[in-house]
Amino acid sequence: MAEIKGVLLPAYVLADESGSMGPYREELSEGLVSLCEGLRAEPMVAAKLRLAVLGFADDVQVRLAVADMRAETSLPEVVIRGTTRYRAVFDDLRQRIPTDVQWLRGQGYKVHRPVVFFLSDGQPTDGDGWRRSHALLVDRARTPTAPNIIACGIGSAEARTMLEVATRPEFAFVAVPGADIGRAISEFFHSLTASLVSSGQALNSANPQLVVNRPDQFTMAIDEVGL
Amino acid sequence: MSPDGAEGTPSPLPWQRIAVGAPGVEFEARPPGEDVLDVPDTECDGWSTAGLTVRLASVRGAHHRYYGKPRQDAARAVPHTPTGAVVFAVADGVSSATRAERGAGEACRAALERILLQLAWSPDALDLRDVARHAAEQLRRLVRGRLDPAGPSTAEVAGRYATTLVTGLVRPHPDGPVVELCRIGDSGAWLLDSRRGAYWPVFPAKTGSDALLVSNEVTALPSVPAALEQATLRLTPDQVLVVGTDGFGDPLGDGDGQVGALFARQLAAPPSPLWLAHVLDFSRETFDDDRTLLAIWRRSPAPPR
Repeated sequence: MAEIKGVLLPAYVLADESGSMGPYREELSEGLVSLCEGLRAEPMVAAKLRLAVLGFADDVQVRLAVADMRAETSLPEVVIRGTTRYRAVFDDLRQRIPTDVQWLRGQGYKVHRPVVFFLSDGQPTDGDGWRRSHALLVDRARTPTAPNIIACGIGSAEARTMLEVATRPEFAFVAVPGADIGRAISEFFHSLTASLVSSGQALNSANPQLVVNRPDQFTMAIDEVGL
Repeated sequence: MSPDGAEGTPSPLPWQRIAVGAPGVEFEARPPGEDVLDVPDTECDGWSTAGLTVRLASVRGAHHRYYGKPRQDAARAVPHTPTGAVVFAVADGVSSATRAERGAGEACRAALERILLQLAWSPDALDLRDVARHAAEQLRRLVRGRLDPAGPSTAEVAGRYATTLVTGLVRPHPDGPVVELCRIGDSGAWLLDSRRGAYWPVFPAKTGSDALLVSNEVTALPSVPAALEQATLRLTPDQVLVVGTDGFGDPLGDGDGQVGALFARQLAAPPSPLWLAHVLDFSRETFDDDRTLLAIWRRSPAPPR
């Protein structure tokens, strides 16, 4: 192992930009801004993270390429459009994550297992087509850089689907029935910031662990499904 | 009278933090809490026996300084006068353990006591597995005394006191000092060739250089692996034994970069203990773990600096 510049946690925020998110565009944008500002307020933690923000609908579009939030000055802007194609997300991540990991390693860093925060307000509109791509993405034998996925469902996103997307049952959440969706989105980003700060703090320990905080206004999806 | 005080009063410049590459954030450290009475921010020690010179330092990392947590590394060294050996231990408390700093300190103390006891019984034999088991048992006793007289589970002990440990001794020998050591967990040991500035790891790295991602798995006391990692080696005239926690080992890497060059220069001859602590407290972005380093040299005929 040659001398390294540091050990980084690549974190990806997948924000649903499909048409049904239209009424909540403001909360989505404000949530992303608060995430970026929250990380800038913790420079020692931010130094150990690289954050990407991706918007998804019919396809995936980069709102913030893998960035050091201490130096990043632009803020991600969401664009509401299209339908909710989950397969586009997992196809994209299967290409993007290994490339990003190799790039970071090429820059002289070691890399922790990446983490994906997935927020959707609807069931996939591409049927079952996403499942094979998702399975390939999270299979550590076939995708050595397979990420941990935290899935949060709001609106019509179902608990069972979030459980399928998340890589561990305790990583799947859905908004409590009747929750204000705009507020749930805000809480998602508060929790996301707290999770990244906590995980960033734990990264230097002898036993670093991904720390996931349940957002207010959300319950564990497994409790809703009753498995 | 000079502006700085009486004529002839020394006016040295304060030591500046040593930056290696991009430095980390500078700030005033927060205290570790009122229940941490005996773990200072920084410790250092240094002395020589007839045949060996020892230096050690342990400094709280920027992360623990910033968030008001105690240093969770520990190191101890003692001489065994009848044999001229130096007995040492270095430990890194696992931060998920609630009293990691106590676990690290206790593991070092228990290891040293057990090795000294073994030397008293049989000066030529050393059973490092017994030493590791004894250290693990001492951690269990700490929990037993506090919580459950029936005996705690391994998980309970680990949750409170889990720690890595590298321990062993260096014996003087006419052909060169002989090192015997073992480790549990991801702390490391190296032979530093002080003439070439090269580091030879005594134990394999925790993550192979070709691994895409770093591993999050670490074995720690009170668990003692069935295949305990042990090594026996001899120090050549140019070699220094270096033992360190991953707060030192991670930025060191293979030792062929800036951190390796810094320590190769600074350890070419035994530095003062305070200076070693200062050097070990170097600033390098993202490397904010506690750092501990213990080094042992063959006694040089020249006086230490």
